[in-house]
Amino acid sequence: MRLLKIVERILVMIPIVIGVAVIVFLFMRLMPGDPVDIMMGQGGAVSAGEAARLREEFNLDKPLRVQLGIFLSDLLRGDLGYSYIQKRPVVSLISERLPATIELALGALIVGLAVAVPVGIISAVKQNSWIDRLSMAGAFLGISMPGFWLGIVLLLLFSVSLNLLPVQGRLSQTVSLQNITGFYVLDSLLTGNWAALRSSLRHLVLPSITLGLPMAAVVARVLRSSMLETLRTDYVTLARAKGAPETGVVLRHALRNALIPTVTVVGLQVGVLLGGNMIVETVFGWPGLGRTVVESIFNRDFPLVQGAVMMYAFIFVLTNLIVDIIYTYLNPKIQM
Amino acid sequence: MEDVVPIKKVSMEDRLYNWRLRLNIWQGNLTDLLTQLWHHPLAMLGGIVLLAYVVLALLAPHITVYDPSRGNLRERLTPPVWEEGGTWDHPLGTDAQGRDLLTRILHGSRVSLAVGFLSVGISALIGTALGALCGFFGGWLDNIISRFADLLLSFPYLIFAIGMMAFLGPGFTNLVLALTFKSWVEFFRLVRGAMLSEKTQEYVEAARVSGQGALAIITQETLPNIIQSVFVLATLRMGFLIIMEASLSFLGLGLPARIPAWGSMVSAGRDYLLVAWWVSTLPGIAILVLVLAINLFGEGLRDILDPRLKVE
Amino acid sequence: MNTKTPLLQIRNLSTIYPTRRGPVRAVNSVNLTLEAGKILGLVGESGCGKSTVLLSILGLIRPPGQVAEGEILFKGREMRQMSSNELREIRGKEIGMIFQDPLSTLNPVFPIGEQIRETLRLHHVMEGSRLPWPFDRAARRAERLRVLKIMEEVGIPSPGSRYADYPHQFSGGMQQRALIAIALSCNPALLLADEPTTALDVTIQAQILDLMRRINREHGTAIILVTHDLGVAAEFCDSIAVMYAGHIVERGNVDQIIEDPQHPYTRGLLACRPQIIQPRQPIAPISGNVPDLADMPPGCPFAPRCPLAREVCSEGPVPLIETSWGHMSRCLAHVNFERETDWTWTDRIEMEWMHDHHA
Repeated sequence: MRLLKIVERILVMIPIVIGVAVIVFLFMRLMPGDPVDIMMGQGGAVSAGEAARLREEFNLDKPLRVQLGIFLSDLLRGDLGYSYIQKRPVVSLISERLPATIELALGALIVGLAVAVPVGIISAVKQNSWIDRLSMAGAFLGISMPGFWLGIVLLLLFSVSLNLLPVQGRLSQTVSLQNITGFYVLDSLLTGNWAALRSSLRHLVLPSITLGLPMAAVVARVLRSSMLETLRTDYVTLARAKGAPETGVVLRHALRNALIPTVTVVGLQVGVLLGGNMIVETVFGWPGLGRTVVESIFNRDFPLVQGAVMMYAFIFVLTNLIVDIIYTYLNPKIQM
Repeated sequence: MEDVVPIKKVSMEDRLYNWRLRLNIWQGNLTDLLTQLWHHPLAMLGGIVLLAYVVLALLAPHITVYDPSRGNLRERLTPPVWEEGGTWDHPLGTDAQGRDLLTRILHGSRVSLAVGFLSVGISALIGTALGALCGFFGGWLDNIISRFADLLLSFPYLIFAIGMMAFLGPGFTNLVLALTFKSWVEFFRLVRGAMLSEKTQEYVEAARVSGQGALAIITQETLPNIIQSVFVLATLRMGFLIIMEASLSFLGLGLPARIPAWGSMVSAGRDYLLVAWWVSTLPGIAILVLVLAINLFGEGLRDILDPRLKVE
Repeated sequence: MNTKTPLLQIRNLSTIYPTRRGPVRAVNSVNLTLEAGKILGLVGESGCGKSTVLLSILGLIRPPGQVAEGEILFKGREMRQMSSNELREIRGKEIGMIFQDPLSTLNPVFPIGEQIRETLRLHHVMEGSRLPWPFDRAARRAERLRVLKIMEEVGIPSPGSRYADYPHQFSGGMQQRALIAIALSCNPALLLADEPTTALDVTIQAQILDLMRRINREHGTAIILVTHDLGVAAEFCDSIAVMYAGHIVERGNVDQIIEDPQHPYTRGLLACRPQIIQPRQPIAPISGNVPDLADMPPGCPFAPRCPLAREVCSEGPVPLIETSWGHMSRCLAHVNFERETDWTWTDRIEMEWMHDHHA
């Protein structure tokens, strides 16, 4: 029964993603300037006659509906197009960059939750203690801070001054790694390449913290607030009256209930994570999808932008679905 | 039906009296608010800092000596005054083109504050208007706009803003437009929700029975009750929008390069992190302090006016 | 423990909550005694401190509130001196508690069966339940069987299929039965019931009371029933204590209280119940309001509203006066002040009382 609903949700995702693609398509076409303009701007490598020929090749001279038709039919065949600027099919470009973004997002999620959950719980249990006040002050700072600035400050501290962590990229130049999944951490584990493992983790630290801490600030505040509410309920008093030890009361009875509204907020934050990805990737030179989107917008690389944004939309909708599923598990009153 | 009393038309004097009464109530509320604010020192601090920023921003062209866009190459990358090699000529140092950082930061505040206030203001206006109408009337208008709002909400904010800026090109109005395009939805949802619950209250029924037109009911009766929450939401969102503006400028998608904006300053300083940490860090601190102040003020305001908005 | 020792003895209990306007004595020098297998009713208006007495017994008063003074002897052991581990052993196992609103007292995210089982598991009632997870299968099965048995006993139909249901899937009456099941799972000697029927319909009320009476008779479980309804207490309890503003104002066995109420407040409570069977009479409410506990007048707490109040009632604290065997009332109406002397306040009371009773 539940499975049916999940499949239903997945099917609904497809038209949404296609809808996004169409919107992006229209956006790009309506922008001033097209790829050929950019190419012409790059040191006159393309003459006027060449330009006309290129336009024809790229289908840029055809009316909008025809272009849309070509685009959609290509899409149905699984062909995301060809990037003229980068001279490679879009699909390969995306599949190259996607794992980096996902690795970063996962890293940020782990860091963020690892900080937010204990902080939220402890602050609620020891309300108004110094630990509570300090954490909430920190959280407040976290939501007021621009993400890119945090990244730069961390870079200054750890990479430049203390020279502890690397400045840019995913892997040291000196380390070589066999590419199986595209997830460097996973690949190094799979191939037993400890040097690569160490290097990829070191590169992952600062970007994950930069992306994860602001999210942690929001989640910690919400969790604390929900925990405070649940700790005051009658069922928690009953749990104590049953003779449950205090840790059990907090973790089993109170937390389980407090997680329900918190999960919704985490779901919203994932959207913010995906957006913030672009900034963090830019700051740390992380070769992921976010940076690709920004660069390809500047280059008017239509097919790449379309493909990348579609990918983002897909991930976003998928994560929302996962969050909804988790939510139904947590809250027995809701059935999908 | 001989006992029907004819409905009296509201005379001009009555109307004026109404408005004067409202003004008094409003003034009373304001003094109440200020006294309550006194008890929230952090919020007051936030408010004062915010005010200071606004004043400095307005006075920036008159109190700064240097040109924010053109610098003296011979003085490039001088450190701030508290570091070795710094001078009081450039209290916060200079950037890679020899431009005084203090001047640039002050001028940058004009951009951020202008964008912040305008975006929040316009979002609030549009969101409130649409929310009130949809909440009150419902029907097909509500359906369409609510669906549109949900669709907009399903995008991560930054991606949307980047897309819009890429589409529209750099520029002040474009920036405000891009930021407003998504944030009006929050005001819309707030006002619509509030309107839906106000609609069922008795005073609305009473107003309708006494012959007040729908528009009048919305603006004069229900809206004053909702306005407080809108105000609180506006203050809470302003900090976020300023960070968005800075992020867009950082990516180079904000204003044209010659206009000093904090985000682009931070971005430009990245190349010089090893030698001149201040070029990137100090504008960032300016953003941080401003947003912190706004958030403190906003949260204090929320605690006073509308604790229901908690857990956002 | 010798059979003469009462199950529960509360002596001079005071529980204080500090508030912005000063300390509030929610429970003020309360004395109660309960024998094994008996039912005590604690009656009074909302806010008079009756629930606080129950919470104080189990040590569940949240800081900054605290039990300021007094002794609580359960089976002869002083509960206030116990460590938190010892207290935890007693809670749920030897003393069970049920609360007023069953929906908010049951944890919404766990199935009912699991919540009942939790008490069994916490106190390791079943053999083998101390073993770590995969090895305790026998214990888990035994626990589940016992839970089903208890559910059946409290009157939850088809317990097997309802074991895995969540609280919101039960009706109010069933939820309360589930709460009773939780409280009784380890067969405690004492059950603390805080207004168990207030949130329920009248018909369900009767069912729940029947259930509790049956449990008392079949298992010998002593019960303290907190309620604001003197009628319910009259039907159900062996003895009644009436509370007002944190004080016990009258105490005795059920016949004494109902047929010969001594304290004006008790009389007021009895009088303001609508009598459906008799010819129409105006309901006589008790005039005035419950006092503000942060700002109590000296002397008898009920004096401002009492039709029999005299000047002397407000002068100092009024002791409990025994008006007949086992029947106490905190009222100076039983004392005859005829002679003026310059004795101190307490001397006067004692002397007058002795004078009246031994003259």
